[in-house]
Amino acid sequence: MSVNQQVTAGPSTKSSTFRKKSVPYLLIFPAVLFVAGVLAYAVISGILLSFFQYDLNTIGRPFVWFQNYIYLFTNSAFLNSLMRSIIFVALSVIIGLILGLAFAISLYRTTKYGDFFKGLSLIPYLVSGVATAVMFRFMFASDVGLINMILDTFGLEQVLFLADPNWALFVTVLANVWGIVPFTVLILLSGIQAIDSELFEAAIVDGASKLNLLFKILLPLISPMMGIALIWLSFASFNMFDVILPLTGGGPLRATEYLAVYMYNVAFTEFQYSLGSTVMVVILFFNVTLSVIYLKIFKSAE
Amino acid sequence: MSQSGMNKAKITKFINNRLHFIPLAILAVWTIFPLLWAFSSSFKKPAEVYQTPPQLIPTDFNFANYMKVFEYDGFLRFLLNSIFLSVTTTVLAVIISILAGYGFARYAFRMRHILLMLILVPRIIPRASLIVPLFTGISALKLLDTYTALIITYVATAIPLGTWILAGFFKVIPKALEEAAQIDGAKPWQMIWYVVIPISLPAILTVSIFSLREAWNEFPFVLAFTTSSEMRTLPYQLFMLQESLGMQDWPMMLAFTLVTITPLLILYLIFEKRVVNGVTSGAVK
Repeated sequence: MSVNQQVTAGPSTKSSTFRKKSVPYLLIFPAVLFVAGVLAYAVISGILLSFFQYDLNTIGRPFVWFQNYIYLFTNSAFLNSLMRSIIFVALSVIIGLILGLAFAISLYRTTKYGDFFKGLSLIPYLVSGVATAVMFRFMFASDVGLINMILDTFGLEQVLFLADPNWALFVTVLANVWGIVPFTVLILLSGIQAIDSELFEAAIVDGASKLNLLFKILLPLISPMMGIALIWLSFASFNMFDVILPLTGGGPLRATEYLAVYMYNVAFTEFQYSLGSTVMVVILFFNVTLSVIYLKIFKSAE
Repeated sequence: MSQSGMNKAKITKFINNRLHFIPLAILAVWTIFPLLWAFSSSFKKPAEVYQTPPQLIPTDFNFANYMKVFEYDGFLRFLLNSIFLSVTTTVLAVIISILAGYGFARYAFRMRHILLMLILVPRIIPRASLIVPLFTGISALKLLDTYTALIITYVATAIPLGTWILAGFFKVIPKALEEAAQIDGAKPWQMIWYVVIPISLPAILTVSIFSLREAWNEFPFVLAFTTSSEMRTLPYQLFMLQESLGMQDWPMMLAFTLVTITPLLILYLIFEKRVVNGVTSGAVK
């Protein structure tokens, strides 16, 4: 492509300023087109759809006001899904935060091989949800599962992890945490690295114990980052879909049918599209709430 | 200080130095073990995975499972689908994000803030939550089961992060070069092509890697918007393998799993620093 250097002879100033003014709009137009056309469209049309009845058994799309919402919040399967989601998120956040913190502190403290371990810790971030699910299913399976083989070797009774509602929930938590801890580690590590290390040294000279160092110095100083990690963990867990569907499909007995999976099942196995959209609105509502908290924490961190 | 005090100090010092290796060891095992176990079992014979006590190192490495994967009916198609979708998505998303990022970083214009919000706020929308309205929209456009539907939705979900990273990068590069080019009469697109892109390659590379990873691992959209088996990507087929095989051929499935992971792992080994920094800044910014 050759650079066209010919200057058009005497362009009217009016049209050239218009052209200049339109440049930024032209630059951002494709992005706006895609994002608005797909994401904003989906959100708006989903909200609209939640006020209509649209499923395979209904002719047309009658407007039904809040009927879908009333149906959802009186429906035991949905309430069960909401309840299980909350348990799943709470456990994921607790385990994720403890592991993330332990890993971040130990990564901070290693001088040798620090980069190696840091690089290693991020690997699960690259693995797709489906692949994570297959690996965890394999480890927790009843016949070929490594965990059951280990239990067997110690003369313990086998556990049908994926057939028992509570164990299945626990396995989904583990698989989920495996995938989302790397991000948490990096967030917390960046928080710890920002602390002036002289603070630690001064405290050590003053004879502070390890627990004091942790609870009186480290945790208060990284509390903004802890907040971000916490919100991020709940955000990622609350919306988890990719790992759950291949791992348990929402079972057994809907024990792991968290909101996104419930929404998928309602829309694509029961073909109740408007009800699925209503679940989407509920999911987005939780996300917006979480994001507002996130922004508040982030603002105060700055 | 008394002798015993000295010893005590020495002991605590020793413990202090070693103690953090315990969580570090847990970190390594926790991270690597699921992958390692899948890797080891992917070389076993189908009956060998049922064997107790379990063996971390297979009795003989057989590559038959990997051959089974490569000869699996449609595997090449799924692989090409994955490659095609990831590369197309990445190229389009990067181009669009460069333009938008540059527009936001260098120009003051009316409605700038609203438009910026419009592009960045969707970062908080999880893709899986959108499948129902998108499905009805795509089916109304008669685009179900097409690459077009997948590419459009993939690109749309990649743009917010891309624009975010690139606008941030463009903002901090000095304007002097562009101003010199402007005096020489360069048009905006020439400035972007000849001046901005060459010095922004690191940021562009980061955006590309994130977009590639996202598209390569994508699951909910391809699951919801395609019906025929020719449209499946590797993760989708991996999901279907679990459903379809009655008596599960675990070693073959694990080999399949590792085949889907390996390309990203290789990319990661090459660009590790960039990925780590990108993840950190993406999370904290």
